[in-house]
Amino acid sequence: MDTPIVKLPPVITHQQTEALRKKFKALFDKKQFSPSVEFDFQEVERMDSAGAIFIQNLRSDLEKNNVEVIWTNLSPGIKRTLKLFKRPVPPVFKSEKKNFFEKIGETGYNLSKYFAESILLFSNIGYWSFLGFFRPGLRRKGEVVNQGVLIGVNALPIVALIAFLIGFILALQSAAQLRQFGANIYVADLIAIAMVSEMGPLITAILVAGRSGSAITAEIATMKVSEEIDALTVMGVDPVPYLIVPKLYAIIITLPLLTVFANIIGITGGAVIGVTYLDINFVAFFKEVFTVLRYKEIFTGLIKSFSFSIIILLTATYFGFRVKGGAEGVGRVTTASVVASIFFVIVADSILGLIFYFGESAF
Amino acid sequence: MNEPIIEVQHLISGYDERVVLDDISFDVVPGEIMVVLGTSGCGKTTLLKHLIGLLQPFSGSITLLGHDLLRLSEAESIKLMRHIGVLFQNGALLNSITVAENVAIPLEQHTNLTTGLIRDLVYLKLELVGLKSAAPLLPSELSGGMRKRAALARAIALDPKILFADEPAAGLDPVTAASLDQLLLKLRDLLGMTLVVVTHEVGSIKRIADRVLFLHEGKALFFGKLSDALKSHLEPVRNFFNP
Repeated sequence: MDTPIVKLPPVITHQQTEALRKKFKALFDKKQFSPSVEFDFQEVERMDSAGAIFIQNLRSDLEKNNVEVIWTNLSPGIKRTLKLFKRPVPPVFKSEKKNFFEKIGETGYNLSKYFAESILLFSNIGYWSFLGFFRPGLRRKGEVVNQGVLIGVNALPIVALIAFLIGFILALQSAAQLRQFGANIYVADLIAIAMVSEMGPLITAILVAGRSGSAITAEIATMKVSEEIDALTVMGVDPVPYLIVPKLYAIIITLPLLTVFANIIGITGGAVIGVTYLDINFVAFFKEVFTVLRYKEIFTGLIKSFSFSIIILLTATYFGFRVKGGAEGVGRVTTASVVASIFFVIVADSILGLIFYFGESAF
Repeated sequence: MNEPIIEVQHLISGYDERVVLDDISFDVVPGEIMVVLGTSGCGKTTLLKHLIGLLQPFSGSITLLGHDLLRLSEAESIKLMRHIGVLFQNGALLNSITVAENVAIPLEQHTNLTTGLIRDLVYLKLELVGLKSAAPLLPSELSGGMRKRAALARAIALDPKILFADEPAAGLDPVTAASLDQLLLKLRDLLGMTLVVVTHEVGSIKRIADRVLFLHEGKALFFGKLSDALKSHLEPVRNFFNP
């Protein structure tokens, strides 16, 4: 059997190789058993790296099938190109695959490490938050007020809007049920208790976690990535009392205040439904609100929101300090921080709710 | 000498009302390394941005590979850009994907090669710049010099005819900078590429330049062979080489 001769086109670049591959595939299906193939490079003028590798891959594929490959009429330029763009041997990277026990061990080790890190940071913050109270010189000047505006005052509009809508919709949903029993006035009781002891602290904390928790994480993470934290440390300025403690004071003061504000707006939202939909007198509604609210509800709500403020700040700073890598690392820890702080806020809310409910006799 | 591969005539350009480049004319012939040099703020990077079509000049003409860059439609200029590689000042590697995936971007976007062939090509280019072992790493795990070399591998992924390099030696130590210059020379000799390099590192210029274009206060003060530039009696040029 004769050796089939394949004439190669004048230009073999990345634009042509795919067409050539299809063409040759058809060619070799028919001549599968031919013992040798000759490639004629007579007309080839230009070949780029993609073309060179393609030609060489073709050769090694054919040789694997015991077909002898002959290259003829190679011009010096083409020879050089083929020599230069040799098929690379793909490097072997040792596989990173871990077995089951290694994975468990790694997870456990990481968790204990994170736990130790967080305890270290939190005790550090706790220490400085007491000591820093008596030594205002350690803080950045005017930072508590500044942060208070950022975390608290600037959040007023969105907190008001959300609280109003929550109170409004809570009243609307319960009104439909209470109406069946003619218990219209109890909408006021329901809204008052629900807002003050549960919804007010919770939604305010979630909003602030999303708004300011993310901002705090991003700020600290950016400062860490751009070595600003290191710069502060070598200047002899401890970043915790300088940066974190003012934020802690600001959020501890503003979050309960925001919660009180949200409670009032939320109850007003409920009152709107009470007045317009259930025909309750506005004065009667608020009279009912003030009879049903005890100090206990108000205090538990404030204790909750005080705890949430600390949780939000600690989570945000912890994730901020944990940043690795560059700009994309900042994005990653910020996302993680918001998710974690909302999670912890809700967990803490459940725990505190249980304590206050079953520990009622203690109050 | 062959036909010039890049030809710039009477280029005037700037930002808003401020003229940055004032009547620049030069040409680049295939296979040479043209170095654009000058002190900081003289318009080097602006000129480079014109050559790769990122900025529009006030007037003048730029001819690249026989096409008038200023009269091309969007689609035509994208086609033309495939014959051009650009090495950005900080590498401009995408940070979220590995080095190998970075190098594969132009191949995946502009060719219909098979996955296996693309993988081979990626390793080939990484081997040319000496970074094959760094293929599975993220750009943030590389040192400055490695990042530049990875960016170079990406720039030459499609075998460009012209490679533009913006400050390839900036921010690198002398040894790494020298090895990067050697790499550029090697690529020019092996692949027959034409290089336009913007730099202000005298050592780098002396190593790689065939011809230099000296920009001074927006004007092309000197254009010619490197050896002539070193002997030049023009005050700014002399000060530049012998500070």
